[in-house]
Amino acid sequence: MTAEPSQAEARGHPTDGEPSSAEKRRTRRAHSKPGALGFRHTRPRDPGPTRRTARRTAPPSADLIAILALLTVPLGLALVGPFLPDVGGDRTRPFDADAPWPGTDHLGASVLDGIFDGGWGIVVTAAAATLLAYLVGFPIGLAAAATRHRWIDEILMRPFDLLLAIPSLLLMLLLASIAPPTAWMLVLIVALVNLPDIARIVRAAALEVARRPAMEAMWLQGESKWHNGVYIGRSILPTVAADAGVRLVGAFYLVAAASFLGVGAGPEASDWAVMVDVNRGGIFLSPWGVVLPAALLVALSVGLNLLFDRLLSRRAAS
Amino acid sequence: MLAYAARRTGLGFVQVLAVAVLAFALVELLPGDAAVALAGDQPDPAAIERIRERMHLDQPALVRLADWIGGLVTGDLGASLVSGRPVADILGAALQPTLVLAVSTLVLLLPLSIGLGVAAARRRGRWPDRLITTATVGLYSVPEFALAVLLVSVFAIGLAWLPPTAVGVPSLLAEPLVLVLPLAVLLARPICSIARLVRAGMIEALGSEYVAHVRRAGVAERRVVFAHALPNALTPATAQIARTVDWLLGGVIVVESVFVIPGLGTALVDAVNARDLPVVQGIAVVFGVTTVAVNLLADLVAFRLAPRMEVAR
Repeated sequence: MTAEPSQAEARGHPTDGEPSSAEKRRTRRAHSKPGALGFRHTRPRDPGPTRRTARRTAPPSADLIAILALLTVPLGLALVGPFLPDVGGDRTRPFDADAPWPGTDHLGASVLDGIFDGGWGIVVTAAAATLLAYLVGFPIGLAAAATRHRWIDEILMRPFDLLLAIPSLLLMLLLASIAPPTAWMLVLIVALVNLPDIARIVRAAALEVARRPAMEAMWLQGESKWHNGVYIGRSILPTVAADAGVRLVGAFYLVAAASFLGVGAGPEASDWAVMVDVNRGGIFLSPWGVVLPAALLVALSVGLNLLFDRLLSRRAAS
Repeated sequence: MLAYAARRTGLGFVQVLAVAVLAFALVELLPGDAAVALAGDQPDPAAIERIRERMHLDQPALVRLADWIGGLVTGDLGASLVSGRPVADILGAALQPTLVLAVSTLVLLLPLSIGLGVAAARRRGRWPDRLITTATVGLYSVPEFALAVLLVSVFAIGLAWLPPTAVGVPSLLAEPLVLVLPLAVLLARPICSIARLVRAGMIEALGSEYVAHVRRAGVAERRVVFAHALPNALTPATAQIARTVDWLLGGVIVVESVFVIPGLGTALVDAVNARDLPVVQGIAVVFGVTTVAVNLLADLVAFRLAPRMEVAR
């Protein structure tokens, strides 16, 4: 196959480029979907996803390189920064515009020191909170979906309906108003705020699996509950993993907002969000002390969003 | 419709009640003696006694819960521990700036996000669509304060086009220029999520049988898009509009802090930092009731738009 026609084909019908794989796909769908009529009916009318994947796969690297470049700077600074040596040893005046770039912060230390040390905390807190939320939310959602007793489902899931009625940042502020301010408390609070969404998604995905014929067969064969649970858990793992990126970005947003508002983390905490807060007063004298951390936070958030969206649409397309 | 509305309203009442009980429970969840915990780092016996008396902590919890709910119904939310002012007064004074922000955001949000979504859907795959899609994905959960600070440094400090904060402005409505940057920040996230949903809904609607039929019947394209496809495309977006009110309230808290606007968000952050629980409880109830009410309204509208797909819980 030469390059010319394959590209033309890819633009029109990327999935039909290889007849054998298209054939396989069709038979698999016919198996999994008894109402194949409706599928055939709508398929030709919706060229959307196929055309978009064609465009995304045709120039594969340009988007990805831009995303990775966007992510490399903040992530690199966050992970490597704490191990870099301090730049400016001697402190000068706060918000000193004459100091070497990028100036000094509200205590008179170099802004670069804060930049190097300030990413680690946010990234680790967000990751730990997401992990904790999954450790708790995954079994809850799984149990709620797998159980054959409706009341267990209700008891496990109803409280989350009420939690969802409260704006997440408000819930976080409320919890922070009564909790002692430590880094671990922030992890706990952010995990709790993310818990309802995770449990719901796990439950929805697991319900779909639990209604499969395979599950019916396992029930009839008298497999143990543990065995069934493991089967469901393994089956929904791809769906849940795809959602994890969204949760991580959400946790990152909450951690940054909490740090900025000065709740949750202790007063001695210093990260990019805290830097934005404390250096705000000197934004006219030494703008870099605010602009640099804010730009890093925005770059990290935008980069993660684009990356996870790309992974998601890849998954949906394949 | 009526049966659904009655059932959904009932659920709303339960949620409001739950929010009220949760706000009340904040005091109960305080570790140890609530009065001691609230008195701060240097517990002064007189202050502890005053707090205990003002919050009626010597009475059983159930009696206080009944008082708290009864007070909510009559608009009596207790008094601030810091200033001694009635919480209802504090809320009343802070309500206006927040309302101005929230209402003008919502007024701008719908036309902008629907317009962007429709524009992207009609040019699907071409550069306007790719630009809008990338921007809406990228800005989806950008922290508002970081965006706000960047906008301030560019437009207020670098270019000096707009005022950086609302300090010294008697009323937000008197100085509309002050509102530009806060509104831009508040709109960023909701526009992204709603425009994406409208785009997806429009693409589906424009490819549907009935739109093909209307086109074959010779109806003008503008009418096809706005009168036939758009109403159906909006249904999934309605639920998301309600969800963005959640973000909007969170955003209001942050934006008021960045731009120094004396609204409910600033009052809440101040109260949390001062451990002024009566004020925290009052604002929590106001925010919670707003969220519940908006969700209720959105579900009813979605049901009215497309009764076939009941927004079941």
